[in-house]
Amino acid sequence: MADPILSVERLKKHFPTKLGLVKAVDGISLSVAAGETIGLVGESGSGKTTVAQCIVGIYPPTDGEIRFRGQPISRELRKRSKDLKREIRIVFQDPGSSLNPKRTISQILSVPLKVHRNARGRSRTAMIRNLLEMVELPPDEYLHKYPQSIGGGEKQMVAIARALATSPSFVVLDEPTSALDVSVQAKIINLLLELQTKLSLTYLFITHDLSLMRNVATRVAIMYLGKICEVAPTVEFFRNPLHPYTKMLLSSIPVVSEEEKALKPAKILSRGEIPSPVNVPPGCSFHLRCPMKMEICSEADPEMVEVEPDHLARCHLLSRRS
Amino acid sequence: MGMTSLLEIRGLHVGFKIFDGLLKVLAGVELAIGEGERVGLVGETGCGKTTTVKSVLRVLPIPPARLDGGEILYRAQDILKMKPREVRHLRRTELTAIFQDPLQALNPVFTVGTQLRDIVLDSLAAAGQRLTRKEITARCVQALAETGMPDPERIMSNYPIQLSGGMRQRVCIAEALIKSAKLLLADEPTTNLDVTIQDQILRKLDELVEEKGMSVLMITHSLGVVMDLTERVYIMYAGTIVEEGRTEELFARPLHPYTQGLMKSVPKLTGEGISKGIAGRIPNYLEPPSGCRFHPRCEHAMPICEEERPPLFSTGVNRRVACFLYQRS
Repeated sequence: MADPILSVERLKKHFPTKLGLVKAVDGISLSVAAGETIGLVGESGSGKTTVAQCIVGIYPPTDGEIRFRGQPISRELRKRSKDLKREIRIVFQDPGSSLNPKRTISQILSVPLKVHRNARGRSRTAMIRNLLEMVELPPDEYLHKYPQSIGGGEKQMVAIARALATSPSFVVLDEPTSALDVSVQAKIINLLLELQTKLSLTYLFITHDLSLMRNVATRVAIMYLGKICEVAPTVEFFRNPLHPYTKMLLSSIPVVSEEEKALKPAKILSRGEIPSPVNVPPGCSFHLRCPMKMEICSEADPEMVEVEPDHLARCHLLSRRS
Repeated sequence: MGMTSLLEIRGLHVGFKIFDGLLKVLAGVELAIGEGERVGLVGETGCGKTTTVKSVLRVLPIPPARLDGGEILYRAQDILKMKPREVRHLRRTELTAIFQDPLQALNPVFTVGTQLRDIVLDSLAAAGQRLTRKEITARCVQALAETGMPDPERIMSNYPIQLSGGMRQRVCIAEALIKSAKLLLADEPTTNLDVTIQDQILRKLDELVEEKGMSVLMITHSLGVVMDLTERVYIMYAGTIVEEGRTEELFARPLHPYTQGLMKSVPKLTGEGISKGIAGRIPNYLEPPSGCRFHPRCEHAMPICEEERPPLFSTGVNRRVACFLYQRS
């Protein structure tokens, strides 16, 4: 891939707990090209949020490297330059708890402007109005409201405006619409896509909703128990899913029309549950639930192989047998 | 509908009295479930789905809730007029429910086994039967096993907090189905679960309901779940039923402008993109819009929509829609 804006190499994040070492993220590699939307999809507990939090600098990684425009950024979190913090921003899942309930929307939006853009007085007010207009909230109506007096979708719009206040180039969207109704989700997704072209943003879109990614992402990566099991460009990914887990996920999605049913892979009966990350099974972490399990699966962890150009998967079925 | 209805809700109005005034939530809900039929009730957050279920089960706290008219007929008897003792008997024998959050539905200080045994004992008492301890335990274990629970004997002595979300919901299903009830009210039973677990649980629920010949009211905001599991569906908006029909038919050709907007907002695997959603937001129940409650957000709104409440116009067999666009003059 030519010139990735962000690359993650063998990233690991382990948390020591009373029950043992939780391997939340266990060696993932991923690179993101400027201007693309990469969808990071996984079930709860697969480690997708931890990846996001390592990228924005909430946690220092246990091992591995994160590079932003070629510069390593994973070490020395406290020394992250202000400029870097301005460039990489995040929108959290639950706007109800990520917005301060005791601050008005105007106060919430003024913080990043104060810190990063040194804006004061009238120019700051003008900037706040601009931001609200950008996310299609009429400023006069919303400036002095508190978060609890507006709807969930509107709160998320404010959170997006806050993330964009510093004019970033890379935005991590951590399940931005999973708490919202579909009609509201549609509105927010459209807005995000518009803003992406207008401001030339790169998105890392974290979600559990594959149907949504079909319509939003340029590439999709599937995570299972702290590891990536398949990455491919969206169209290719949905045309030809390779990993058994991906097939299981796709065939479990409830759909609303016959055309969609036709697109799902042959039904793979879903069974078992995602194991606890304290007790990751040996070998391939999916082998306990896998319908195509072989002997080798419980012994050796498969390597990532490039099956077709840009289409990578991590499964013994796909590794060349020698 | 031809066949006799097991449950029939007619013109149900429910309000909530709060400090600021009266929230007029349900405004004339019409819904019927036939014997052995599976019906879906779909709507977005705050449209009154749960209020409807709670009215049927008679568990709405009154006050602040207030019944402002309508009837809920179960086998032609009005649940709303029953004495508390009669309602309790109905809940012990005929009605059963699964709720969205199993951690709230299960008691945290008792083991799964204790909770299941209590339900069996209670339903036995209601039916005037007796069983030995061993028989009761065997029945509980079997109910758990039926839901696809791995290692049910061990789970019997576990507390809810020791189980994963999917396993907790299986316990709730076992609890709901262990008495031989006739009507299952499932209120968003899989909303909190991952898709692969949701798939397992819905398939299991489907099998069990089929086997026991139960009627089901499936309440959800997920159109896909309804498509998979129900024969007929009602679409709800702001406390009113806006459309009903056979599930496949309704989803293939939605008629009401709200349903159309909703269907276009659902992200699809075909990758045709996502519409801009539905403009505006769900109305304030303190002062709901006059006439059709959807008219302020509707792109086809006509003068009559503001003045009159549209009744459900019939547009075919089992197909009704509450919209003046379909009025035949």
